[in-house]
Parts: sequence; C-alpha cells; structure tokens
Amino acid sequence: MASWSLEQVEAIAPTPAAFTAARPLATPTRWVGLGADGEALWGSCRGSGAEPYDTIVDHVGVGFSCTCPSRRRPCKHAIALLLLWANGQIADTLAPPSVAAWLAARKVSDTRRVSDTTTTSTPSEPTPTRDSIPAEEVPSGEAGEDRAPGVVVSDAVGEVSDTAPDEIGETPDRDRARNERVERMFAGLAELDRWLDDRMRTGLADPALASYGTWDQLAARLVDAQAGSLANRIRRLAGLVGASPGWHSDVLAELGLLHLLSQAGRRLGSLPGPLADAVATTVGWQVRQADVLGGVPDTDEWVVAGRSDTREDRIEVRRHWLRGQRSGRWALVLSFAAYRQSLDTSLVVGTSVAADLHRYPGPALRALVGERHADPIDPARSPSVDIATACDEVGSMLVAEPWLDRIPFTASAAVAVDGARFVLVDGTGSLPLLGGGRPFATLLAVAGGGVVDVTCEWTPHGVVPLTIHLADRSIDWGPGADDSFVSAA
Amino acid sequence: MTTSMNVTVQEAWSRLVAAAMLGTDRRDPPDPSDVIAGLIADVVDDTVRSSPSERMLAQVAAMVAVRRAGVLPGPVLPRAAGPPPDSRPVCIPAATDRWHHLVSSWPVLEDEWMLTLIANGWRLPPELIPEVLARHRRDPIRRARAEVAGGPLVGWLVGHLPAFAAPQASNARLDPSAEAIGELPALPIPPDLEPLLRAPGSETARALVGGLASGALGISHRAVLVNLLSRMRSDALVEVATALQHVDPSSVGYPLASVLEDLARTRHRMLDELLTTPQT
Repeated sequence: MASWSLEQVEAIAPTPAAFTAARPLATPTRWVGLGADGEALWGSCRGSGAEPYDTIVDHVGVGFSCTCPSRRRPCKHAIALLLLWANGQIADTLAPPSVAAWLAARKVSDTRRVSDTTTTSTPSEPTPTRDSIPAEEVPSGEAGEDRAPGVVVSDAVGEVSDTAPDEIGETPDRDRARNERVERMFAGLAELDRWLDDRMRTGLADPALASYGTWDQLAARLVDAQAGSLANRIRRLAGLVGASPGWHSDVLAELGLLHLLSQAGRRLGSLPGPLADAVATTVGWQVRQADVLGGVPDTDEWVVAGRSDTREDRIEVRRHWLRGQRSGRWALVLSFAAYRQSLDTSLVVGTSVAADLHRYPGPALRALVGERHADPIDPARSPSVDIATACDEVGSMLVAEPWLDRIPFTASAAVAVDGARFVLVDGTGSLPLLGGGRPFATLLAVAGGGVVDVTCEWTPHGVVPLTIHLADRSIDWGPGADDSFVSAA
Repeated sequence: MTTSMNVTVQEAWSRLVAAAMLGTDRRDPPDPSDVIAGLIADVVDDTVRSSPSERMLAQVAAMVAVRRAGVLPGPVLPRAAGPPPDSRPVCIPAATDRWHHLVSSWPVLEDEWMLTLIANGWRLPPELIPEVLARHRRDPIRRARAEVAGGPLVGWLVGHLPAFAAPQASNARLDPSAEAIGELPALPIPPDLEPLLRAPGSETARALVGGLASGALGISHRAVLVNLLSRMRSDALVEVATALQHVDPSSVGYPLASVLEDLARTRHRMLDELLTTPQT
C-alpha cells in the first residue's frame, strides 16, 4: 500500500495555516489506536478536550471524519494523520468495527459525494475543499491549535477565522450548525454555573481546589461546549490558587466574574446589542475576520503606545495598544504564536501609523488593522492624562465590561515610594505599580524623580508599566515573549 | 465608598471572602442588606435565588463589578527625590542601539564602547543603567566603569532598589585600580599578527585577504582575528572592511571574511557615534 507524499497531504489541506497547525500533532505520542489498511487510516488524538478526537481518513475515496469541533475539512487531526502515514509512522493493521462501519456508510452514500464530513477531491487533483465545506466560524477547539499567523484568535474577546464570506456553505447547513453551537454553548454555561455553585457550597478551603484537575476538567468541558475563552479563563484561574497570601480574594473575584458571564451568556437575547456582542465574544463566540474587516473603518493616526506579551497555555499572546491621535480612542490589536512561530512585528512601539482599524462588535477595544495609508512616523507619543483621569477612563471601561483584565492608559506622572511599594503619582493621586525587576528599575531610572509620560496596563492587581515616552524616542519595556518559545523580535 | 450601613466596600468584600472560605454548606452567606445597599441590594435580593450558594454567587458577582468599576486614585504622595544632577549629555540613541547590538553580537567591543563613552564626555542613557548594572553585577572593573558612565544616577537607583547593588562576594569587594578601570583589557594575539595592530589599513587588509584566500587563515584563527580587529588602529577599519567585503564569495575564506567585515564595520560605526562631540 503506497502512502501519500507530503506534497499530496499539503495539497489536500484547506489552507496553509491548517497544514501548519497539523504539524505539531503529527507525532505518534499524541495518538492512540493508530492504524492503517488499504482503504483508511484511523487514530485518536489527545487534545485539550475532555475526550480524544477520533479521526478517520479514507485515503482511497478521499474523505474525512473527526469528532473534533472544527467544521473545516479536513481538520488538522485528519491532516496530521495523513502526515504520520506519509512519514511511515502508522503500521498496517485490521480496521476496527467503527472504521469499517464508517467506510461502509461512505460507500452507501457515495452518490452524494459531499457531506459535512467528506470531500471528493483526490490527492493528485485536490479540489478546493472550501467550495464544498461549510467553513463558518472556526471553533476554539484545542486552545489555539487552529491558530496560525494570519488567523487572529483572541482568548479575551472572542475568536475569528480566516474564512471569507464566500466560503460559507449553504444557509440551512450554516443555520443548523449555528444552532447546534449555541445549544452546546448554553449547556456549557449552565454546567459552569453548577460548578461555581459547588465551589460556593464547599468553600475555597476545599482541598480539591489545589488540584489542577479540578479546573482542567471543567476547562476541557468548556472547550467542548465551544466556550474556549472561558476555558482559558478557568485555566488561568487555576494558577491563582495558592499563588499569593490573598489568593482567596483573587479567586473569589474571578469566580464572581465567571458567574456574571455565565448568567449574561444565557440571557444574550435580552441584553442590549453592544453588551450582548461583548458577552458573546468574551464567552467564546467567534466573529469572522472577514466580517470585522467588512465593518466601518476607524481611520486615524494610530500611535502604537504599548506592547505586552503573555504566555497563555501553549500560545504566546501579544497585545499592541494603539491610541488615535485625533479621536483619543484606544484599540487593541492581538497576535498569537505557537511554539516556533512568529509574533506580529509590524507595529513598532513609539511610532504612529495612518491606518484603518476595524473594530470588533460591541464596546470591545479589540480591532484588526486594515489598510495602512502611509509609512509609520517615528517618534510619536500617546496623548497623556493625569492619574485621576486615567482612573476615570479605566472605571468607565470596567462599567461597560467588568470582566476586562487589562486596560491601557497613558499618564504623565512621577514615581513615588509608598511603604514597600512604588506608585505612579501626580497632583491628583497615585496608582500602585506592579512587579519589579529590570523594567521597573528602568522606569525609575528614566523618571529619576521627575515626570515622564508612561503607558501602562491597568490590571486588577496593579499597574504594569509598558512604555516610557521621551521627547526623542519611546522605550518599550513591556513584558516580552520568551525568545526560546517564539520569535518575537 | 461606603454603603448605607456605613460598611465600606472593602469590609463587605472581606466578609464575603470569609464566608466563601468556609462555604455555604457550613455558613450562610452574609445578609445582603447588611453589606450591600442601593441598587446592588436590589440585584442580589432576588427571591428566585433560593439556595444559599446561589445567593452567595450573586453577591460576589455584584460586589466584584462594583469594586472593579470603582477605580479610585490613591492618596497624593511626595515624589521620590531625584538624583544629583549630571551635566554630561546622554549619548545619542544610535549609540544606545549599538550597545544592544554589541552585547548580543560582538561583546568583545563592549569595553571599548564604555571607555570611549566615558572618555568623550557622554553619560549612559538612564534606561541602559539597570541593564548594564545587572550585566556586570559580579565584575568589579566593568561595574566600576558603569558607575562612572552612569554618574550619580547609579547610586540613587541602587539606593531605591538594593537588588542592583554590587554583591558582597569576596571578588566583588576588590577595589579595582583606576588604571584597570581605564584600560582596555589585553586580548591574546599571536606574535605573527601583532605587527598588524599598528600597521596601516592597506597592509592589514592585504595580509588578511591574502591569508583567507590562501587558506593560511581559517576558521581556527577566528578568535585571534576577532581580537586583532577589536584592537587594531581605528583609522584602518574602513579599508580593512572594504577589502574583506571583496573576498571572492566562492573562496573558502569567504564566510570568515564576512564575519570579520561585520566586526570591522561595527567597530568603526561604534567609534563614529561615540567620538562625535557632545552638545552640552
């Protein structure tokens, strides 16, 4: 039995990004029950969901079946299975009954040729699978494994796919899929609330909270329920347990926000439009990139005021904070990189770029960069405010969306000592600075007792300095990505 | 912020945390009318929520929203007093960028960068000081240079952040002599290459290009050739770099020639940036 070549496997991938996403999965350690025969390949891929994804590939008639939530066919699991086979890493064996049954069913329905789980192309002449596959929103799936450069995915404010509108399948299929997804999400939110209720009953002193499994199992179920953003939030929350002397307060606050989101998510229909959009995307509902880019652009001279990188699960997340010089409005541009991928380096802190930004639905800060009208200008400074105004701005955003974890501001302030901690201070008040180490020392050295313009991220735990704006340059000192994990220059 | 019961939001939150620690199986949640007033009490006072745990969750969610939205500035505090003034100008941004390039690609040039900066009346940019101090924490000579280059700001910074002070290990307590601080460290260069340190650029270029082309100088000589280019007379650098640039790409010596050309050009630019006259 001759296996496919790598080129044939690459040709069958619906997008280059899908092929890239499949590569990390093409290792036998991620799979159980691998097997192949003259007609099919099969195996179960362990992902971040509660159950492994059962994948079957008909390599003769060319069709795919997978229990993962992705609606893209072939999904990355099927491509990974083909890659394993092409690399000679799948042994020939007898097909299990489930595989034989699936193949038999395919033969019966062969006249239809096109279904939700099959494509009709051949490896040598791959028909663009997008034409026949309802590739609507790409689900959150395995916490970002569908993500690739160009496919911008957010854990905080929803997710998008890189699929264009003309790639959508027939409307009834789309509506059915959407309804199924809504049902799954609502079920997930109901389960989340039951879980939260259990936490309130047994208390934060419950030893079960110290076990990561307690959180991870819930997160996996939320992934399956298409609420990937909440799943990420749960996993981050697990890291708070025992992390500080006041962890009980931090965890309780986050549980309260999760309750807020689950309640709001189950009442989406009765919420005002912008709030409903914000809740939906925060829970994990996806917005297609094409839809965002099709919206009315927000054109301005955008100052790249700050940057911060954080590792979330297996994905490095880069946040660029932009501020319109004319409008004064903030925007957030996200980029993501998995292991050995590259983060977006097209936005340079301290420059300004005349560009169209396309904002996501609702009051969210998140936006995509559309057309750029000119080369970046260097140096550029974000308009600054005093501490009291910065607090007002942050509070206003939190009134609209209490679950926001990071909010930017640029303030003109000095550094002062308040007991054992340092604070940003001016004539209107003070804000505690978070963290220490070299970035903080840099702020202290540059300020040197004077006033500097500094762009910060407000977080519930304190203020993180990102950028110091000087007359002739800006110093980007935001938290940086691990160079050994991703390329982030 | 206080409630109508004169209980601060912080006190109310502390009560909720205490109740949440035990869990509602063992303790009822605080009475909402005790801890939350006004609109929030209306939200929480929901008869649909029958179980204690549900009421607790509602209280927690409402209180978190209130606490988050009520971001208020802390008290006005006196600024930290600034460091004593330093009349020297900060080196130009290009020189700062060059330092970053040196420490990642050509650390052999870092000593010369720092000494040239000091000798020409520049001072370290403030943003570089924490990095330089951290980098040379255990090297008394280089740390002493950093203190000179950084000026009074170094002592001021260490006063605020003692983590940047020199360690108290025995080697760090050595008081380096002024000569050691002001001199470039000697680099090993074999006797047959030593004359090139003082030779005109044309002669050095001829010797290097010839040696690389003939194979007399190869990758095994890389370290000493790097040392040579790091210490040779600076007015020969451009000529040597140009000659290295024209080494035949198909020759065996081309890769090493490219590396050495980069070093020569980097050092030339470094000195160019630091030898300009400060505008005070």
